[in-house]
Amino acid sequence: MARWGMVIDLDKCTGCQACSTACQMENNRLPGENYQDVLYYTEGKQPTPVLKWFPRPCMHCEEPSCMHVCPTKATFKTEDGVVLIDWNKCIGCKYCMIACPYGVRFYTDEKPLVEPNIKDVYPGEGDLSWNPPYKGPQQDNAHGVGIQPHGVVSKCTFCYHKISKAPKGIADLSNDDAANREFVPACVRTCAPTARYFGDLDNPKSNVSRLISDKRGVRLLDHTGNKPQVYYLSGGAGPAVPSGRGGANKA
Amino acid sequence: MSTQQMKGPVNAAMMAGMAALVIGGGLALVNLMSSGHAAFNTGSSGITWGLPVVGYVFFVLTSTGLTFVASLAMVFGIKEFYPIAKRCIWLALVTLVAGFTCLALELGHPFRMLWAIPTSFQYLSPLNWMGLFYAAYMVLLLLKFQKVNGGDWDSSGSRTLGIASFVSVVIAHGTLGGVFGAMAMRPMWYGPIIPLYFLLTAAVSGAAFAVLITYLTYGNESFMPAKVKNLMKGAMPKVFAAVLGIVILAVVSRTMIGLWSNADGLQVWDHVVASPWYWIELILMVAAFFMLLNGGSPFFPSIMVIISLFIGRYEFLISGQAVPLFKGTWVTGLIDYMPSVTEWMIVLLAVGIVLAGWAFGEKSLNLAAEPAEK
Repeated sequence: MARWGMVIDLDKCTGCQACSTACQMENNRLPGENYQDVLYYTEGKQPTPVLKWFPRPCMHCEEPSCMHVCPTKATFKTEDGVVLIDWNKCIGCKYCMIACPYGVRFYTDEKPLVEPNIKDVYPGEGDLSWNPPYKGPQQDNAHGVGIQPHGVVSKCTFCYHKISKAPKGIADLSNDDAANREFVPACVRTCAPTARYFGDLDNPKSNVSRLISDKRGVRLLDHTGNKPQVYYLSGGAGPAVPSGRGGANKA
Repeated sequence: MSTQQMKGPVNAAMMAGMAALVIGGGLALVNLMSSGHAAFNTGSSGITWGLPVVGYVFFVLTSTGLTFVASLAMVFGIKEFYPIAKRCIWLALVTLVAGFTCLALELGHPFRMLWAIPTSFQYLSPLNWMGLFYAAYMVLLLLKFQKVNGGDWDSSGSRTLGIASFVSVVIAHGTLGGVFGAMAMRPMWYGPIIPLYFLLTAAVSGAAFAVLITYLTYGNESFMPAKVKNLMKGAMPKVFAAVLGIVILAVVSRTMIGLWSNADGLQVWDHVVASPWYWIELILMVAAFFMLLNGGSPFFPSIMVIISLFIGRYEFLISGQAVPLFKGTWVTGLIDYMPSVTEWMIVLLAVGIVLAGWAFGEKSLNLAAEPAEK
């Protein structure tokens, strides 16, 4: 069984936000509910401020604190390493949003970020929060895929509706592989500078494993112990700053 | 004791409580039915747990503290506390219901919770244990009140229920502390001492409510029976002051360490102490402490401490989330938050439950009862 993971090469990322847009289209996200976001921030002060950006999906952690705090086991980890939410079991307590160090979870019922409220323009039927004119993936509440129902939390699924249909044993899901292109997550599929890679972290021959190894991939906020399955490449050469306390870390 | 002997504003409290229930409950429900939780000012890019959770923590910890006060007589055998023990148990039930109401209106699916938590049993989640032990506590408290209301104060069954409810609430409040204390990614909350901090603040909250309600029941000391008056002039303010003193130390030490440390996330303490509310909280506590030490009536100190504790709960809950995680473009400094009218109405509803519930108990359940002298 694969253990899906992502590598994002920050040296290649241009901050174009095509990934965020593709994700929004694929997963019917509204402004402010970006499963995949590119965060912009400024470092330094005048006269030498530097504009920076940072692409940030859900980290699909090895030890997801969001899953551990969920009192109903609505948040769970699939055998292939993807952290998902069962909307049929989520009680909307939002403890997972408190416990996620990366801020990548979204509650359905909030004040809209932009007016008019799109949810009012396309009101939902039944329990679903809205009814977009174009719907991407088939509704799959048990895996948190589709239109978000009221009163639950949602998150990036690594486009589970795509990757779960990929052939078993495949090492990487890449645009270069024409036969399997349909199974590539939307953000990876659309990344123009090919800054994103998606594959099996447990397969030493996968491209993602090689990139992490060769270019010293690092994980965000590694000290929290969540152990993300999303790795970032930055620079590559040169000594690396240890991200934890070495031997004191749990394996 | 019959209600005729009570000179306090029980009827007025009932009226005020009913008004708060109708206004708070009505407005909150109308807004929630029409807008859902969009009627809150909470958000995925902002404060996740808002004022209703503050209300929940405030009221359930008050319930915890009231059980501690009742347990002084019923578990630890300090007989001076018997005259207010039954009232404290009833109030513990009422404040627990008020807290649960706040939480239920904050949850996305409160009814789903009833089956999803027990059937899933995620033992790693502090919230699971909190739900389990507060539910057990509620049942035990109800059974204990039923025993006491039937005049059974000292049978082995009644004593066992008293001890069981005390133990369950000690664990329950600890698990509530764990909900926050386990959050390494929220440094203001993080730490193994948070359950102990909750225990102390719960105890002082219970003491303050026990004093306040006793004074409200009788009007003033001159109308109190001798035993109650002796308690309010003797042991009660001493216990109250002792715990309050430790709480003040805990608040100050948390502040000092928060301000001193450079750990990422603790910069929120600069913001906390820059707020006048922090100083109001601290000054009210310290002033109440010295008023209690001076031997005056504990009535005003109880009100001061309750206000102070509510500010403290708000500060703890909201400031603990004010340092953004990875919100980038959308939030550059600390997260701003101002509770919405709907959120305030939920707290008003909870206050209504406490006032009306207490007044109902006072009028119908003979809360002044105590065991017969042996």
